[in-house]
Amino acid sequence: MMDELELLKKDWQKKEEHLPKLSYDAIHKMTWKKSSSIVKWILIISVLELVLPNLLLLLFVGTEDWSNTNLGLMKNYYLAFNVLYYVVVLYFIYQFYKRYREISVLDDSKNLMRKIIKTRKTVKNYVIFCLATILISFAFYIIGFYIDESILLNFKGIVEKAKEVPLEKIKITAVWIFALAGILFALFMGGVYFLLYGLLLRKLKVNYTELKRLEV
Amino acid sequence: MNKQLEHQFVTELENNQNIVHKVCTLYTNNRDAHNDLFQEITIQLWKAYPKFRGDSKFSTWMYRVALNTAITLYRKSKRRIKTQDYESVIFKIKADEYDETEEEQLKLMYKAVKQLNDIDKALVFLYLEDKNYAEISETLGISEVNARVKMNRIKIKLRTILNP
Repeated sequence: MMDELELLKKDWQKKEEHLPKLSYDAIHKMTWKKSSSIVKWILIISVLELVLPNLLLLLFVGTEDWSNTNLGLMKNYYLAFNVLYYVVVLYFIYQFYKRYREISVLDDSKNLMRKIIKTRKTVKNYVIFCLATILISFAFYIIGFYIDESILLNFKGIVEKAKEVPLEKIKITAVWIFALAGILFALFMGGVYFLLYGLLLRKLKVNYTELKRLEV
Repeated sequence: MNKQLEHQFVTELENNQNIVHKVCTLYTNNRDAHNDLFQEITIQLWKAYPKFRGDSKFSTWMYRVALNTAITLYRKSKRRIKTQDYESVIFKIKADEYDETEEEQLKLMYKAVKQLNDIDKALVFLYLEDKNYAEISETLGISEVNARVKMNRIKIKLRTILNP
């Protein structure tokens, strides 16, 4: 049986004359265009992920409501928690930068894919950390309500409400609201993230699996 | 200095653009997508150009960047407008050059290659470009033995597509 590929190879090399031909100017213009590669997208999404939660936090902390909030007995824990949070965020920024710099189009295909997946893993860990932080923050409040009523009373309108309804009941309602809000918020953020990356890296994952499958 | 580098790059790419066009032809299905991928490969080549030392040929270096972009970095364009039967333009076979059966067989072969997955296409592409297994394995990051094994499997796969 004749090797079909050999036949194709002969024809393939004759094909050159049928290929499009771009002018010097057309190519020159292209060098000024912006890349829309997945690496670029990972960078954009990651920077947003780093900036947005912290921006929200800063806006929240900056409001009068917050500065008036007396965290009571929880204050020191909260401060320590915050310091720890920013140390970890800085660590993630450093890690991400390092991984991002390692990605090179000059690598062989398998290595390139491996490095992109590694970079994505860093982002994934960061998102998990962020989600955990959100949940812990809400848990902080819930615990706070129990050990120090003044935290609850500091919320707008609670003092007036407490005159009509027993404080115990408000406490239970607040705990439920915070617990549900925390879980919903985390689920929403997580959902958006996994959808975004799932779509972005679907092709890469298929190809990487294919290349890895060759090695066994 | 930068201007000079740019001029050098564009000239080299202009002379070797066939390689990029061939990759685009294999990995896309319409003219818009072809141009889109060509542009992304050009951007990646230009970004990496300062690292091109000239110890390998420019064309050799292009294969790697072009394939990496097509397989890994490029996101398929959202625009899926079928402007024309694209394949028939690029893979045009002049009737007078071949006898009927050979022409028909080649058409089927090209169609079959287009049906392969991204990695298989990359192997076939390098094979058609007359690259040896050492180069194929280096470009894709698999061992030479595995490249051979894979290539044989692709041949069988193509044969079954052609003779079902």
